Amino acid sequence: MSSLALSILQRKPVERETFIHRLDARVKFVFFLWISIWAYIFLDYVVTLIFLAGVMVLNLLGRNFSRTMKAVSIIIVPWIAVASLILGAYFPWNKTLLVKFEGILFGYDYALYYEGIAWSVTWPLRIGVCIASAMFFLFTTDPVKLIALLFKLRVPFRFIYGIAGGLQLTPILLNDLHTIMEAQKSRGLRTDVSIMKRALHYLALIVPLTLSTLNKVQIRATALEARGFSAPVQKTWPYDLSLKRRDYAFIAGMIIMTAVFAFIYIFYGFSPICRLEFYILGYGG
Amino acid sequence: MPREPIIIFDHFTYSYPTTPNALVDIDLKIHRGEVLGVIGPNGAGKSTFCKSLNGLVPHFYGGTVKGRVLVDGKDTLEMTPAELSLKVGLVFQEPESQLSGLSLTVEDEVGFGLSMLGFPSELIRERAREALEKVGLKGFEKRSPFELSGGEQQRLAIATVLAMKPEVMVLDEPVALLDPIGKYEVLSTVIELASEGSTIVIAEHEIEEIAYFANRILALNEGRIVSLDDAKKVLAEVEKLKSLGVDPPSVAELSYMLERELGVKIGEYPITLPEALKIYGELVRERWERK
Repeated sequence: MSSLALSILQRKPVERETFIHRLDARVKFVFFLWISIWAYIFLDYVVTLIFLAGVMVLNLLGRNFSRTMKAVSIIIVPWIAVASLILGAYFPWNKTLLVKFEGILFGYDYALYYEGIAWSVTWPLRIGVCIASAMFFLFTTDPVKLIALLFKLRVPFRFIYGIAGGLQLTPILLNDLHTIMEAQKSRGLRTDVSIMKRALHYLALIVPLTLSTLNKVQIRATALEARGFSAPVQKTWPYDLSLKRRDYAFIAGMIIMTAVFAFIYIFYGFSPICRLEFYILGYGG
Repeated sequence: MPREPIIIFDHFTYSYPTTPNALVDIDLKIHRGEVLGVIGPNGAGKSTFCKSLNGLVPHFYGGTVKGRVLVDGKDTLEMTPAELSLKVGLVFQEPESQLSGLSLTVEDEVGFGLSMLGFPSELIRERAREALEKVGLKGFEKRSPFELSGGEQQRLAIATVLAMKPEVMVLDEPVALLDPIGKYEVLSTVIELASEGSTIVIAEHEIEEIAYFANRILALNEGRIVSLDDAKKVLAEVEKLKSLGVDPPSVAELSYMLERELGVKIGEYPITLPEALKIYGELVRERWERK
């Protein structure tokens, strides 16, 4: 498994101390929702790219840039490439021809249109904004503060338990995967084989891995329960959970930008720069 | 030694939703200040016994119950595991799996249980400091729990329980997955706690170690009590232990073999090395003087 995947899944505790890390978890969570919604409202790859750039700047300030950049690139670049090849040619609302290759596809012509490519770029970018803002929230927020936040928001206990379990699941899963892989290798599992064969080997690990992980998650759940996790009392957290001046400043920034985005949307529409038109209720422009 | 009982099993029978008769008609008392060792082969019910002490059985696992378990006079069925966590602290077998996974530092991890119960921050910090000192992890406060070795993590788990100041500490095979150094670290801590008069219930598959500090031994098999008596008596029952699939202390087994194979009269079998040294020393001296 790549070091990026490992670092994301292991979700190493946040140790850095930056302005971004000190922001309240609630504010960062609201930001994640807020920017994701705006990325969805505008159908304009330039606007979405600006959103993505903005989120990446915040990730940079939170020293979470390279990991997020890699994750976003790994997901959206292949997506854009594949979608552009397919939708660029066969998108139902294709109208503006960009380039045409005659007889290139088993003797058939293959043409690429602006609308299909615009769609193929915008959607992955939207997802990129969601991923980058989610990583911004997750990787600059202490897990315990996240749980504290959920308790404070009076989120149902079972839901909090699910989140806590999810936070614990991935490191356990990775450790177990590593152990099981080592055990299989020591019993003759070959690693110098093709990707297909390696994928089949990974499939063989699913059952032992699932059982072992579920068992460990249950042990953790019982251990949490044995320490009063579900006690119906006001929890004590070893840090202050109140909003600070920096949090209010960040919220104020979001409010101002909401007004700006609303103005742009009302007066220039959902595609203010690229002027895409094909999206309205599926009828196309 | 034994004072008033802190835990009473009153003909307690328990079945998991998928496994019947995990414990059958358990009837015993555990006294304040006592160290009770729980032994038995795999599947004997040791872990279930431990979890029934703090209410995880049946509250967490479900299943059916007959009889009752009283902790400090209160029925575990009428209390939640959270309430019971202040009475009975449970240390699990796997060091890493029992960490909350939600604390960034060792200090926060120790205070986690108290935080969950809403104790004031000052008290949490004070208790965390005390507990870490007691298990020999002073100076580790700001480190990540996941950076510690297996033995250190298990001592951290003990500290998390100690911070709650429970009346009874239950350890479910706490050294089973540790290397020799980890085992030594953890058992030294347990022995120290025992010497301070803590009430301890310790389940162990390998009984060599608990022979040194257990007052009484409970032997379980298929969920039932097979033996419950002074450690010296139960651990010297070599044949019975072997028939259960439990290895007796090696010095007791050696004595048994010497008696059976060579006809050497040993009397009461030793269960620890110092006891063996004393008994065998006297035997050797006798022979020497006879010559």
